[in-house]
Amino acid sequence: MRVSLSWLKEYIAIEMSVDRLVDALTMVGLEVDSVSDRYTYLDRVLVGRIRNVRPHPNADMLKCCEVDIGSGAIDVVCGAPNARKDLAVAVALPGAVLTDGTVLQKSVIRGTASEGMICSEKELGLGSDGSGVLELDNRLTTGRSLKSALELADTVIDIDLTPNRPDCLSIIGIAREIAGIQKTPLRYPDARLPIIGNAVDELTSVTIEAPDLCPRYAARLLSGVTVAPSPFWLQDRLLSVDLRPINNIVDVTNFVLMELGQPLHAFDFDRLAGHRIVVRTATAGEVFTTLDQKERQLSQDMLMICDAENPVAIGGVMGGHNSEIEPSTTRVLIESAYFNPTSIRKTAKQLGLSTEASFRFERGVDPHGTVAALNRAAQLMAEISDATIVDGLIDAHPKPVDVPVISLGVSQTNRLLGTAFPAPTIASLLQSIEFDVRPENDDHLTVTPPSFRVDVCRPEDLMEEVARLSGYNNIPLTYPAVPVRGRPLLKTRASRNRIKQLMVGCGFNEIVTYSFIGSGDGDRLGLKSDDSRRQTVAILNPLTEEQAVMRTSLVPGLLQTLQLNLARQERNLKLFEIGKTFFATESDALPEEIEMLVGLWSGSRFAPSWHTSDVDTDFFDLKGVVESLLLQLDVQQIDFTSLPDDDCTYTRPGVSARILAQEREIGLVGEIHPQALRRFDLKRTAYIFELNIDRLLPLIPDTKLFRPIPKFPVVTRDVTLIVDRSIESGKILQCVEQMNEELIEALQLFDVFEGKPIPAGRKSISFRIIYRSSTRTLEDEEINRLHQKITGQLLEEFKASLPA
Amino acid sequence: METSIEQILEEALKALEDASDVETAKALSVRYLGRKGAVTLFLRGISQMPPEKRAAMGKRANDIKNTIDTALKDAVQRFETAQKGLEARIDVTLPGRPVPLGSLHPISLVTQEICDIFVRLGFDIVEGPDVESDWYNFEALNIPKNHPARDMQDTFYVSDNIVLRTHTSPVQIRTMEKQPLPVAVIAPGKVYRRDSDLTHTPMFHQVEGLLVDRQISFGDLKGVLTTFVHQMFDERTSLRFRPSFFPFTEPSAEVDILCVMCRGAGCRVCSQTGWLEILGSGMVHPALYENVGYPAGQSSGFAFGMGVERIAMLKYGIDDIRKYFENDIRFLRQF
Repeated sequence: MRVSLSWLKEYIAIEMSVDRLVDALTMVGLEVDSVSDRYTYLDRVLVGRIRNVRPHPNADMLKCCEVDIGSGAIDVVCGAPNARKDLAVAVALPGAVLTDGTVLQKSVIRGTASEGMICSEKELGLGSDGSGVLELDNRLTTGRSLKSALELADTVIDIDLTPNRPDCLSIIGIAREIAGIQKTPLRYPDARLPIIGNAVDELTSVTIEAPDLCPRYAARLLSGVTVAPSPFWLQDRLLSVDLRPINNIVDVTNFVLMELGQPLHAFDFDRLAGHRIVVRTATAGEVFTTLDQKERQLSQDMLMICDAENPVAIGGVMGGHNSEIEPSTTRVLIESAYFNPTSIRKTAKQLGLSTEASFRFERGVDPHGTVAALNRAAQLMAEISDATIVDGLIDAHPKPVDVPVISLGVSQTNRLLGTAFPAPTIASLLQSIEFDVRPENDDHLTVTPPSFRVDVCRPEDLMEEVARLSGYNNIPLTYPAVPVRGRPLLKTRASRNRIKQLMVGCGFNEIVTYSFIGSGDGDRLGLKSDDSRRQTVAILNPLTEEQAVMRTSLVPGLLQTLQLNLARQERNLKLFEIGKTFFATESDALPEEIEMLVGLWSGSRFAPSWHTSDVDTDFFDLKGVVESLLLQLDVQQIDFTSLPDDDCTYTRPGVSARILAQEREIGLVGEIHPQALRRFDLKRTAYIFELNIDRLLPLIPDTKLFRPIPKFPVVTRDVTLIVDRSIESGKILQCVEQMNEELIEALQLFDVFEGKPIPAGRKSISFRIIYRSSTRTLEDEEINRLHQKITGQLLEEFKASLPA
Repeated sequence: METSIEQILEEALKALEDASDVETAKALSVRYLGRKGAVTLFLRGISQMPPEKRAAMGKRANDIKNTIDTALKDAVQRFETAQKGLEARIDVTLPGRPVPLGSLHPISLVTQEICDIFVRLGFDIVEGPDVESDWYNFEALNIPKNHPARDMQDTFYVSDNIVLRTHTSPVQIRTMEKQPLPVAVIAPGKVYRRDSDLTHTPMFHQVEGLLVDRQISFGDLKGVLTTFVHQMFDERTSLRFRPSFFPFTEPSAEVDILCVMCRGAGCRVCSQTGWLEILGSGMVHPALYENVGYPAGQSSGFAFGMGVERIAMLKYGIDDIRKYFENDIRFLRQF
């Protein structure tokens, strides 16, 4: 909402400086967005003096003027009849912005250069006379800025209003708040107009067929109208709040809209069929051309203002092309109505058409303010267009809108606010903004808000008014007594924090990517058509195709982050993200949200340094990270098994493993599939892992038990087996574990070798068995026997041989 | 007795002081502690002393022998290490072997810091879904369909009745539905608004707070949020409470803090106002109590919400909100 200080001062004497005013408005809840000087557009306009006038060589109507602008002289081509030698004039220099929005530039007019423009008062927005250049007082100093020479000063304040305050969508509304702040009186414009006779009823009528959508419709009729440009004072008011003057009739409706906040509409009465108004809903499929000459498709629940035959306006939104004021108009019907806010909002939304009128109606105008605004407009129109107001007033009022009466508890107010206001203080605060307050009993006040405060209907609303007017910052600080009961930290949160810390400890940088991915990302991952990650939750109104569905995987975000960093020459990357994935369930049910952890390692194994040469990372680096993570989290029975080749489409066959915990799949680790690399535009490979946090969490034990430190020494024995190369080392170790020998404390695989002297197609696997007893020192012989037994079983089980 | 044992000690230590290599130190060892060394000879002579002095003198002489022996051995080792050091000298200015550590995202860091402050004040942490029903995101929060307050946030829709939550406030309703009074919770999480430009990203993070009991006042709201701001920034950061509008609170307040960059003098970050808007807050609207079935007229409490990105920007001086989700490693490594 833009208000100019000069306009505000019509209704309220402002005693504060602009800075104080801005601060005071902000602190009562009308947040000031910006403050500007209304006349900045005149910054490039100076006082000049015409030194010399010559006829234009190529045009009879034009003159070439030499104009002194203080710092020198410029040549200006001018067509005004009153341009003459020694005249003090307003000269716009290149860069100046004229009221019609054009930016002045140096130009060549019929072959002669013009370095500026001598302006009329109309062109400067300082008057309505456009017949010649503005003649300035000769005593003004040449070269001075016009703004300071004429002492032009007005401040425009832009207020960011919250949706609950439609009463402030007018100059008078803002003035009312200032009156409340200053505790000074407000001067309302005179809107009384005696109702003499009822001549109007013989000429026209208003029929409301949809009283729920239009509870009130008032109208007046003017005859003998002369449509013409508005007088300057009216244009000036509109210009001060950025509204463009059109003609005296339309300008008055806009003026009253801005002044009182009541949208009005003026119809050319003689273009209304049957000379009457019918308020009804549209018929389905009806088409209507609005003032802006656009065709609008109507639907059945839209409220239309009609004449005897056809719609003439979309109620509360925009008038029709078919009944608008034209230069030839002589009789005008002014509409001032109260429409149902929800209905107006639906219509405006459906049509994608938000106007000054719909904006106010959908928030709620003063249901009791229609007649005052109507009278004000009729008077102004009569004054400036030589019209006569037809006697009588139409005020169709089928559904009166009640103003609530609220009982406000004084102690309840003080309890909620933490204050100690006596009843008279509360009463006087509310009275300062026109609330009617009467004592009810010792502890209660009966409060009737003014009809324009459509937002106030509960005691709490009044408490806010009290708090706001007394100043939020004057309410003392207190501290609540929160009962000590201490609940444990949410397990998900505690574990998530722990996992993040562990990943950071492993050298990984946390990333946060958008929860939405592209609708094509499933294809880029190569997901099969029956993959559950194809069950995406689509957004109906996405901003871009790349953000069209909720992610079912964190991998696309991870790969895009890799891509971005590679493009910025950052090749050594260790990244992780924890976040939700979303899976569609039944329609109109909330999706299933599953939390995932993903990690990525690309580039070097070691941080670049002089200690080691650059080695690329591999599968086992990342597998090691996963193992450490799960070990730290105390998750028992972790297994990595080879992933069947067609199981995951975005990891490389043969270099991918499934991660199992307690025999349940919890994730995977592997190298990115070359196809996925290409589809995500990646020039370098990377290894990734995924873990399902929701499956992992229940496996993290809540408690940790200390194991006694062994007292007896270990005995170690190494085994080297030569086996077929297809045999997985994990199987061999598992086989040993399954022998359940209680003396085996641990197994350590320390070498895998292929090539000479091992026969082709076979490999050697070496590992150490660590034996220990918790009750005694082991004898060599006992261990030799046991070790031999184990070796023998392995040789048989895996068709293995011992090294030569 | 020509020379006293004390003199021997003094002499030996003085001689050692002048020594600078292993050979001299070893020679001194022979001179004092060798078979014909001064200390050895002295010890032998003790048997000649009067019996009443023998015990004391013997003990003293032995102590001195040990003192000289330790001093000599230390000196020998010192001279040896110094000599070897010349050969084993390393370039200590070479960089150490890297032990790379990762980093948490600034959003995680700041969210954690906010949560820690409120947990210390007695709040529990709760979470809710990102994809929400219209009921929890709007209706239950007193934002009916076709209400202008819906314009305050641009919403991503999944269906007519399902949205990406536009704020963490639905967690207020979900919590009150499950939990009887008193309630003191904060709810961190991602939120979504259909807005993307220099100062907006379509996804960002909020922390919501809710404290409801029977006698909670607006003064309490001011107290708790003042404590929070003082801990998050510092005690010099003053606060300003300003009337505002949220459909789910009444009275409602925006909380501004004194600009942490210019301390109120006016700068680019605060648009020359000296103040920064960082929190929305207010007393829980009675309609919410009705919606969750809390006893009418007996519950009172406050709620607040803040944007994590905004606070992180102020804390770290980050100038562009989009940097959070770009994940440039050079950005991430700074935290």
